[in-house]
Amino acid sequence: MSQPLPWFIAGPLIGLIVPALLLLREKQFGISSGYRFLGGVFLPKLSYFNYNKDQDRWQFQFAIGLILSGFAATQLFGVTDQVNKILPEFDYQETAKTIYSSKNILQFFLGGILVGFGSRYANGCTAGHCIMGVSQFAWSSILATVAFFIGGLLGSHFINPLIF
Amino acid sequence: MFKLAITLILGFIFGSIMIASQAFTWYRIQEMFHFQSFHMFGLLFSAIGTAALSIWIIKKQKQKSVFGNELEITPKKLEWKANLFGGLIFGLGWSISGACSAPMFILAGFHWPIGIVLLLGALVGTIIFALLESKLPRK
Repeated sequence: MSQPLPWFIAGPLIGLIVPALLLLREKQFGISSGYRFLGGVFLPKLSYFNYNKDQDRWQFQFAIGLILSGFAATQLFGVTDQVNKILPEFDYQETAKTIYSSKNILQFFLGGILVGFGSRYANGCTAGHCIMGVSQFAWSSILATVAFFIGGLLGSHFINPLIF
Repeated sequence: MFKLAITLILGFIFGSIMIASQAFTWYRIQEMFHFQSFHMFGLLFSAIGTAALSIWIIKKQKQKSVFGNELEITPKKLEWKANLFGGLIFGLGWSISGACSAPMFILAGFHWPIGIVLLLGALVGTIIFALLESKLPRK
């Protein structure tokens, strides 16, 4: 098992994305609005997607950077072939070793739908609420973060054992 | 061009940290919700702490952006039903897919089929929200 970058290095680095985006791009950290931008590209006539897309274009570009980081990792470290090598020791379930397999496509699709729907409804995701919002001590973000964790605990403990 | 390059580079850096720390994987998310390791909690708390300190310094110094503009840092509006119900739904999806918004893009970059499925799912979820938006309680 390969060791992850320790949290006390990775966490502050992630935190520094916030001032970097503010100072260099005048943007508040967030990612899920990129989906609203994408929806607007495909279905511009829906009223929710019929808005000034310029404000969210950068999130789409940021997401392209994320995709490129994943692609670079596969080219540099061959992550694709060694999925099990980058996994932590984990005793949740035996199935955990093969979770990213095509037999789980329906579960992942369902999870994706809930993430897309929930982040738009809650007006933010882990980036916009947990990191950007909580660090401003915003009540909306604190409430959303608590809800994220309650939903996550329910899903991880009660739904995942049934469907994976 | 400068703006596009900066955005791409910051996305790339953020993604690389998420990969190096393994925070993008389904396994780390389950481990967090099962309280089996401090890793993800330490990651989140130290990220929030660093971000909060940065915002405090920027506000205190009235730091301007590189374009010379005043920075407006506005909190998201409280709409308790939306934040709560949307948050619960997001949390369910987060634990099932083992990915929030950013890791989905990273997994797609791995050219794993699951990454594409997750992205498609999130887009479908966004479209369902767009269709139901006017009927959902917000506050």
